Amino acid sequence: MFLENFFDINAIIYTYPLLLDGFLLTVKLVAVIVPAGIALGTILALIYALGGWFTKAGFILYVDTFRSLPPLVLLVFIFYGLPFLGIQLGSFASAVLALVLNGSSYYAEIVRAGIVAIPKGQWDAGRATGLTRFQTIVYIVLPQAVRNVVGPLLGNTLELTKATSICSVVALPEFLRTAQIAQSHVYNPTPLVFVALVYLILLWPLARLVSRLERGIATH
Amino acid sequence: MTSAPVLQISDLRKSFGSEEVLKGVNLTVQRGEVVVLLGSSGSGKSTFLRCINRLEEPTSGSITLNGNSVTASNANLRTLRKQIGMVFQSFNLYPHLTALKNITLALRLSLGQTRQAAEEQAKHMLAQVGLAEKAHAHPSELSGGQQQRVAIARALALEPQVMLFDEPTSALDPELVGSVLEVIRLLRQRHMTMVIVTHELGFAREAADRIIMMDKGEIVEEGPPEQLFTAPKHPRTREFLKHFTGR
Repeated sequence: MFLENFFDINAIIYTYPLLLDGFLLTVKLVAVIVPAGIALGTILALIYALGGWFTKAGFILYVDTFRSLPPLVLLVFIFYGLPFLGIQLGSFASAVLALVLNGSSYYAEIVRAGIVAIPKGQWDAGRATGLTRFQTIVYIVLPQAVRNVVGPLLGNTLELTKATSICSVVALPEFLRTAQIAQSHVYNPTPLVFVALVYLILLWPLARLVSRLERGIATH
Repeated sequence: MTSAPVLQISDLRKSFGSEEVLKGVNLTVQRGEVVVLLGSSGSGKSTFLRCINRLEEPTSGSITLNGNSVTASNANLRTLRKQIGMVFQSFNLYPHLTALKNITLALRLSLGQTRQAAEEQAKHMLAQVGLAEKAHAHPSELSGGQQQRVAIARALALEPQVMLFDEPTSALDPELVGSVLEVIRLLRQRHMTMVIVTHELGFAREAADRIIMMDKGEIVEEGPPEQLFTAPKHPRTREFLKHFTGR
């Protein structure tokens, strides 16, 4: 009874092409959102470090806003709310926008923390040899900062990857959404179990790596 | 033709909040001259040095390097800083880069040299400080003395008009101090203009052309080392020398 309901091989064989499409769309979402989030987060952290009080205030506003808003609320607002303002984004674009705004706010704060932890002497050495502030941060401060926060950066990447599953609410046929469709085809929850297992198997090594990196930093 | 001074500093003042740490310092450094600044901690020596290349922004006063104003609001700081080498107490090497890359970075970014030219120059500089074989070592693989010599090579590579040393041996184990002082002696033989903040009194006496005694943000006494060490005039100088030689 249990096996039939949750581990029905035939249900997977029957819905396999659909689930594969869903999986590939999730991979595509991650491939767009993670690099865009890291790039935007890093740019924001650089602006924070190089700017005056006004840009620092803007940074804090951005980070606080998008870390406070649940990504699901943000996504629903962008997809269902913005059309009332005449801004109509497709489900893929809405998903990318919502998760890049959310993800970049975390990445930005992580990179910022890494940058401010670098000793002032590193800035002194760069500037004393005629480098601009921008060159100093790009070539001297940022590489060291990123190295020190690899653990938290990977942790956020893990969270962001999992968060792509909320895109199922805007009818984007990503992995979870296709599992729900498959379930309705075969009248059996096996596709959902399958999706959960795939997430678990693929992300477990990453979760382990994050734990190890964070412990490594703690014992430094 | 009289030789123009390399550095000319007049009435330099610096305040942090309400605290005035430099109270109108005047100093002229001639080409090839070695000036050593003495004074207890908190006397403003380091701040003074850091004002010369404007790592600290002076509150008022003027500084010129070879006649070019460093303190003017339109001063080209990047160009001027390339001509002012600086060596820090804590070395401030870039830990993520090899010794060679620590030197080539500014050569490439500030002077616009090609990779090949920069690496050649950097190897040459490392050889000068006796570390040719350490080109590909990271700072963490070097002793403190070696790190400081790489830092000196990094500053020298830009071929500065003057070198500023901010307590270059204070963070070193006693047995490593000698190797760094040896490099500074070598620079002296080559007539490098230098301003050195140090607590190594023996070295100051031997290497300085002129000693400046600072106390509470002011120059209280200056003169040739023999005069200052054997017949100090100001009570603060006497007290300072007694304290340090009495150790």
